[in-house]
Amino acid sequence: MTVVPDISDENQIKVEYVEAGDAIPHSALSAIPGNAPAVTDDVNSERLLDARSESQNWLTYYGAYDGQRYSLLDQINSGNVKSLSPAWIFQAGSAGHIAGSSTYAFEACPLIVDGVMFVTGWDGWFWALDAVSGELLWRYKHAVPFDVSLCCGNVNRGCAVANGKVYFVTPNAQLLALDATNGRLVWQKTIGDVRAGESASLAPLVVKNTLITGSAGGEFGVRGHIDNWDLETGEHLWRTYTVPKPGEPGSETWPADGEAWARGGANHWVTGTYDPELNLYYAGTGNPAPDFDGEVREGDNLYTDSVVALDVDTGEIKWHYQFTPHDLWDYDSTMEMTLFERDGKKLLGHFDKNGYFFVLDRTNGELQHVTPFVDRIDWGVITRDGKVTPRRYPDKEGEPVHFYPGPAGAKEWTHAAYSPKTDMFYVPVADVGATATRRRREFKEGMPYWGAAVEVDIDDMAGSVSAFDSYGEEKWRWRIDYPMAASVLATAGDLVFAGTPTGEFVALDTRTGEKLWEFQCGSGHHSSPSTYSVDGKQYVVVPVGWGGWLEGIIPGMLGQGHGSALIAFALPG
Amino acid sequence: MTITNEREDLLTELGLNTQNRATIGRMLGTGSIERATERADGTMEATLTILEDSGGWEPAVLVMPHGGVIELTVINDDKNTHSALFPSNGDKQFLGLLNHSRGKATLTLDGPGFYWYSSPGGNDEGRGLTAAIVVLGEVPPEARLDRPDQPRP
Repeated sequence: MTVVPDISDENQIKVEYVEAGDAIPHSALSAIPGNAPAVTDDVNSERLLDARSESQNWLTYYGAYDGQRYSLLDQINSGNVKSLSPAWIFQAGSAGHIAGSSTYAFEACPLIVDGVMFVTGWDGWFWALDAVSGELLWRYKHAVPFDVSLCCGNVNRGCAVANGKVYFVTPNAQLLALDATNGRLVWQKTIGDVRAGESASLAPLVVKNTLITGSAGGEFGVRGHIDNWDLETGEHLWRTYTVPKPGEPGSETWPADGEAWARGGANHWVTGTYDPELNLYYAGTGNPAPDFDGEVREGDNLYTDSVVALDVDTGEIKWHYQFTPHDLWDYDSTMEMTLFERDGKKLLGHFDKNGYFFVLDRTNGELQHVTPFVDRIDWGVITRDGKVTPRRYPDKEGEPVHFYPGPAGAKEWTHAAYSPKTDMFYVPVADVGATATRRRREFKEGMPYWGAAVEVDIDDMAGSVSAFDSYGEEKWRWRIDYPMAASVLATAGDLVFAGTPTGEFVALDTRTGEKLWEFQCGSGHHSSPSTYSVDGKQYVVVPVGWGGWLEGIIPGMLGQGHGSALIAFALPG
Repeated sequence: MTITNEREDLLTELGLNTQNRATIGRMLGTGSIERATERADGTMEATLTILEDSGGWEPAVLVMPHGGVIELTVINDDKNTHSALFPSNGDKQFLGLLNHSRGKATLTLDGPGFYWYSSPGGNDEGRGLTAAIVVLGEVPPEARLDRPDQPRP
């Protein structure tokens, strides 16, 4: 041990310190090797266009640009799934104080490229794992301020891969490109203003030689935007605001005086889908702000609660469709816009928080039909041709109003799956109401801007995985006592995988809804499972861990244990 | 009712800013506040110290004028062994601190916001050895929203 004399003024030896040296990376004190095979070097635009045919991999957030969350893998199937068992478990605990230490959770969908798994966590975590053994190959931890504004939890939904790199966002609105072989930072961009209440949580999407991101923070009265970045350099290519400025198209749907538009919300906080033939990116947008006080923002409030179809080269909005005009219930429309074909027509299916399933012509946004997909809807009515009539909403100051579905919706951000094999959608359904009491507040930057006190029911709730054909007719329903709060996955093995709030991970028969298998994972599910194969062996992987915006989604389960594990399953042998 | 200028006196009177008097350990955030200094190249620097039997970092709140790189001199003047686990972009930084030792840590932090760091052994963190680094400033102009300036609290 070196002893270093500390020389004070006039060469008087005052104190002798033991030399502690320089601080070292925390991962140096671990068994982590720090490197992974260069599997993403050849992941490029062409491979991503044909991602589904690479069923051994899961290359984008939804597995493919169409958002179907459907895999062609069928080794694990309805005939043998009863033998499915854990292959490995990765535990993702963390040290020290973190932002949202009571709300952090996995909300990610793991990506897999040729035997390497890339997973994001809360609070700036990124892990690269051996997809066969579960060994941690390298990790990256971004430092996230403890006081960052998070409406709904310290969460992240995933990453993108291409050109030897991985890409993800952090709660303090940073976009990072890392070397996929070792996790070292390649470039970093600030993509939002944390002082305004902006954050970021979505998985970026690689399109051509660019990357598309969106912002979070609609509960803080920000102005939503979608951005495009050069994959190699991080150069900012375009930004499209999802609330128009005065004079821009759509601005007539906001009050002509005042600055309601500047605080209007419409954040794009879940990854969109992409049709390469039409060159369009389908982005869902979030609620208007303030969420429940519509009197300060009279009008339809475009482009909140909408799908906007963007030209990926310019960011220009080519068309839009608004699912909940002048929203008063916090009915974001950020969740998946599933692309599918029927009778030769290019369509887009969307299960909205407002309880209705919409099918649009995705070439022009023309509505095909609307159908309800949850039992209890009383906030209003939408006819099959799309006419919206609000019925129950917070209107008078201080007067409680109960409505169904609650602000987390009949389906939260968690994703449905679509199987072309059965032509059916499999939907995680939440059936729970809420009471909102309008409480006006003055807007102040960085402060929550809801305009109401909100209490979600804790003693009258239900949920299901429900199957619908593409016309919205329900074909079967697998019921549980709690709202579903995790994404589902469909495979060519005639299986639907889904996780429950009480921890069960189940496999259902795509044709009947019969439960064929289950495994208790030890904590509730709030993420997106994916599937892959290595050396001919299929795996299903699911991030597990209860957290996020539980007071909105399912407050009756707020007291469930936390948990933060990644579990991969495979057949024996 | 306590007014602001009585805070230090009351902390001392009650024994909240020391070990094993009012509380078992020392309440977090009861130490001093200091500013980091900035060199001409924008790198910031500061010294963090654990005083003998204080169970706290001094300063308890270190303030950086903006995001970027900070070089810390870290001193353990205590007669017990501690360590430091700092936030930094890429990976946390760990420094072992034997009794009466001195080391260095170089951190990269985004701003604005504040971060906790601590001595992660035993329950040093709960006994008082958890402190904050505050980063001042605004995000880069290109990252700000295109809207008129808005009122803040």
